Amino acid sequence: MDLFLQFLANGLVVGVFYALSALGLTLIFGLMRVVNFAHGEFYMLGGVVGWFVTTYLGLDFFSGLVLVALVMGSFGWAVDRFLIERVRGQGEEPGILLTIGLSIFLVNITLLAVGPAPLKVARAITEGPIFLGPVTITKMRLLAMVIGVALIFAAHAIIHRTRLGSAMRATFQDPMAASLAGIRTKQVYAATFALGCTLSALSGMLLASIYSAQASVGGLVSLKSFVVVILGGMGSFPGAIAGGLLLGVAEALWGGYVATGMVDIIGFLLVILILVLRPQGLFSIRAERA
Amino acid sequence: MYRYVLGCALAAGVAAAAPANAQDSVKIGLVEPLTGSVAYNGKSVVEGAKLAVEQINAKGGVLGKPVELVIEDGQCAPANSVNAVEKLVQKDKVAVLVGAFCSSATAAIMPVAQKYKIPLVTGVSSSAALTEQNNPWFFRAAETDALMAKAFAKILANDLKLKSVAYVGVNDDWGRGGVEEFSRDLSALGVKTAMTEYFDHGTTDFFTLLTKLRAAKPDGIFVAAETQDGSILVKQLQEMGLQSKVFGVGSWATADFINLTGDAAEGIYAAVPYVSSVENPANQDFVKAYEGKYKVKPGKYGAAGYNALNITAQAIARAGGTDAEAIRKALAQTDYKAPNGNYRFTAKGQAYGFDAVLVRIEGATPKVVASAPVEAPQ
Repeated sequence: MDLFLQFLANGLVVGVFYALSALGLTLIFGLMRVVNFAHGEFYMLGGVVGWFVTTYLGLDFFSGLVLVALVMGSFGWAVDRFLIERVRGQGEEPGILLTIGLSIFLVNITLLAVGPAPLKVARAITEGPIFLGPVTITKMRLLAMVIGVALIFAAHAIIHRTRLGSAMRATFQDPMAASLAGIRTKQVYAATFALGCTLSALSGMLLASIYSAQASVGGLVSLKSFVVVILGGMGSFPGAIAGGLLLGVAEALWGGYVATGMVDIIGFLLVILILVLRPQGLFSIRAERA
Repeated sequence: MYRYVLGCALAAGVAAAAPANAQDSVKIGLVEPLTGSVAYNGKSVVEGAKLAVEQINAKGGVLGKPVELVIEDGQCAPANSVNAVEKLVQKDKVAVLVGAFCSSATAAIMPVAQKYKIPLVTGVSSSAALTEQNNPWFFRAAETDALMAKAFAKILANDLKLKSVAYVGVNDDWGRGGVEEFSRDLSALGVKTAMTEYFDHGTTDFFTLLTKLRAAKPDGIFVAAETQDGSILVKQLQEMGLQSKVFGVGSWATADFINLTGDAAEGIYAAVPYVSSVENPANQDFVKAYEGKYKVKPGKYGAAGYNALNITAQAIARAGGTDAEAIRKALAQTDYKAPNGNYRFTAKGQAYGFDAVLVRIEGATPKVVASAPVEAPQ
């Protein structure tokens, strides 16, 4: 029983991390319908920029996090205005090719700039284990979970409570009508992409402070994030959370009771099951569009 | 017909161009992972190799010509490594191949080397099966897991007083090989196996595995992992509050591993074929040269690249030309004085005679606990 509780706790922690790293993707892929294969690289850049600002600029973790948000937000804005805009409205394939190209470019630029070695991001607090009855967890993991949940709620509030959020939802339901109603859709697209990019980067820096930042992590992150988004349903925040937790707990239990060596299999089993039984995902806000 | 003629013309052109190139320099092809999850270790091999080439060329090269290193990225993947070798052989016309890092990739390029009849030297790949394939073109200037296990099993069981050991390895042929060899030799000495688990390359969260490990309550934990995975694993071992003795194989005794792992690295043991703190003049010269060039002390892989290139260049010099068969024969006669002892090859192409060391990390530096010569396998 103690063992089960620890597995469950491990799964929930990792699940929140999965949800967090999939948030950026659920915005860009789920709302904007851009199949963003560079998602993992935005995440990776968040960790690497985080390493740079905490190591070379001497910032503490939280100021670093703010600076990373600003830098990567502007970067996302620029990527949308200069790259994604050129292929908008031409179907999904040009976007896929564009983001695959972008991901290769970003990985190799990073390899060139900082090399392939893992990088250490300064931690927000001194690390140490906390014992809750039979369950062990660490301070940094708890903090990362709290920040992660806060980010999820903040992103949800932006989409559902602000004028910009209304403009986003209007634009993605019907770009033509939104533009006729006076919404500057180009700005809205760029803002959404920037927000998605920022969320990916923030989760990248947060998790890099627990694990480590490295130029080559992007591929695995993209893969897991697609699993989470498909499980949860496109563009749905509750879905991303449910998908993340489901994946985290399933992996922890599979790893705990079967074998850790084959743990990646379980995510894809779940995806196949979901696509067969409930193709729109656990939660879906997908509206039929004209 | 036209196509056939064109093909012949092309082939003739390439053949004519090749000797012209060969006169300028002696080319050695190096296939290492420069991207992907072990890129970081692959880069160290390249650094060591470049240092060796620089030193050889400073002394006038071999056969009166400078040595030229042609480096390709094999990504530790069999398919990419084969492509890299095809390119090195067909386009660059290298005299000898050195590589590839991962045993699975090396296993894939061995038949290619045999097909083109080009000697292949690896300084890293440690899967015991490679030298059992009776490929006369293949030489391994590295330890195997079996040889390391044999050299250290007794020291580990007696000096560390281990009654039960949990085995954790990366889920590939190297990790599985290391776990199997060490568990076999330690079991033979009466050490119980508490648990055996594997994890995938690039895993970041080990809490599930460590939960199982904590429940198994072993005296010692054996880990076969490279820098990236290993440092995260050891950090999380400490975060989970596990007190067992940790010992491992892989690039554990390097400055980068210790820097990444921080306090958690204190007190862990590593069985490595090379560590920079070994005290002998040859090693001190090597460390000085390496540090002067790269501002960091050489680790296991820096030394591996350095040794593989020196062995290769010396064999070419002894062969007196770039004829593949002559180089192969010269390689078999190797008696190379490395910073870590003397390298010779068995009839199967397995190196022996050099020293392996068991180190303990204390005060952020690897201290040599024991040293044992790697003996020729029976």
